[in-house]
Amino acid sequence: MKTTILTIDDEDVILNLLDEYLSIEGYHVVRAKNPREAKQAVVDHPPDLILTDLQLEKSDGLILVTELRQKLPDVPVILLTGVWFDEQTVDEKLSGKINAYHNKSAPLHELGILVKRLLKETRG
Amino acid sequence: MDKTFRIVLILFGLLAVSLIGVLIYSIQNLQRAKKSAEWVNHTHAYMAEIGATVAASSSADGALHAYLLSNSPAQEVAFQHAFADLAEHLEFAQALAGADPDETARLTELADALLARADRARRLLAAARAGDRADVQAQLRSDPEGADLEVTRLAQRIISRQQDLLRERDRIAFEQDLQARTTLYVSAGLNLLVLIAAGWFIRDDLQARKRETELLARANEDLEARVRARTAELAQRNNELRSENLESRWKAEALDHQLRYNQLIIASVASPVVVITRALNISRLNPATERLAGRTATELVDQPLSDLVLVTGEGDSSAPLDPVETALRVGQDLIDQAATVKTAQGSTLPVLLSLYPLRDQDHIVGGVVTLRITSR
Repeated sequence: MKTTILTIDDEDVILNLLDEYLSIEGYHVVRAKNPREAKQAVVDHPPDLILTDLQLEKSDGLILVTELRQKLPDVPVILLTGVWFDEQTVDEKLSGKINAYHNKSAPLHELGILVKRLLKETRG
Repeated sequence: MDKTFRIVLILFGLLAVSLIGVLIYSIQNLQRAKKSAEWVNHTHAYMAEIGATVAASSSADGALHAYLLSNSPAQEVAFQHAFADLAEHLEFAQALAGADPDETARLTELADALLARADRARRLLAAARAGDRADVQAQLRSDPEGADLEVTRLAQRIISRQQDLLRERDRIAFEQDLQARTTLYVSAGLNLLVLIAAGWFIRDDLQARKRETELLARANEDLEARVRARTAELAQRNNELRSENLESRWKAEALDHQLRYNQLIIASVASPVVVITRALNISRLNPATERLAGRTATELVDQPLSDLVLVTGEGDSSAPLDPVETALRVGQDLIDQAATVKTAQGSTLPVLLSLYPLRDQDHIVGGVVTLRITSR
């Protein structure tokens, strides 16, 4: 049974890139372009990990994460964004809401390492 | 053609020739044996007729003497029948004698002797029928000693001669039989050797083929292993290339996103903002600047900053952009420098100009100019 990862972003090109990369890494990828699709996806395909953009067209990624966390409290969440945050701000402001943060300007393979680490930690 | 196949073909050819030779020889032997058996039967029949002739002669002599003594008509009939049998057996013997001159000569001697006996019988019979007993007794007394045995001697000579021929035939038959057995045994031995040789060649060829097959199988396994390794290598390289490609697209997308986001931020600022290059040319400006100058970005981008804004000197006369150039060169911020903006209509607007140098790894690559309208 493949590990399922839910990717949430309002840009198709980002979703396509994540889908291709994570599929090569051996994961089953479920895509969502907005909060409604994301909420439906967690019901249809309960994910082992969630990757979500910070800035969504009709919502805020952090608000969506808070809502999803109520249903899936143990599923790790990685926040993606092109907006630069310094690590201290992330630690102070986002601690407790997400498990990790990945800047889109960082290489994809670093995201892959982060995904593996979080999945490993979650499974003990 | 394969060498072993040629050799085996030749060996089987020899085997076939040998078998055909044996077959022909056997057929000839059978024909010879058949002829020999016919000759043996013929010879025995001939000997039997000679014996029967002698017996008939003795029987005729006996019947003649009995008639002479009894003068009985029954005895006359008996000796006539005996002589008829004798003539019949002699004719059979002559028919069986064939064309052999020696044998014909011997049989003629026997026939002559029997003819002499028949003449004597005829003379005795004539004297007896005439009632001349004295003549009969005289003829009987004149019969030479052992004349009746001459027929037996001649017949025995013929039979002995035939028996010699039979023995000679047995000897030849024995030798032929021995020769046939030898031929068959030698042929069987040769055939066996040929078969063993063919079997040896075939076995050797099969072993060679088996070795070749094993070598080929090993070579195939090596090749398959190399192909698998190469395929895995190519697959890995392909994955690496895909990953590199993905990384490149991801980086480009991130950069594009960042540029759009930066552009969005600049465009959203209400105050006029102009980005200039190190050579003091305009590289970017926001809509607020377009509205202030009444000129489009297309008209202003790549034009000197002095086409848009001039630093104001003492009095109201325009001055070159020396403070901007100096600040950019030394890398210092220039705050609220009095200046004027040239509008599309040719008028000027007083503004306060601020310059913030743009640094990229300790190198000044340009600057950000903000304009604040002081009055209209």
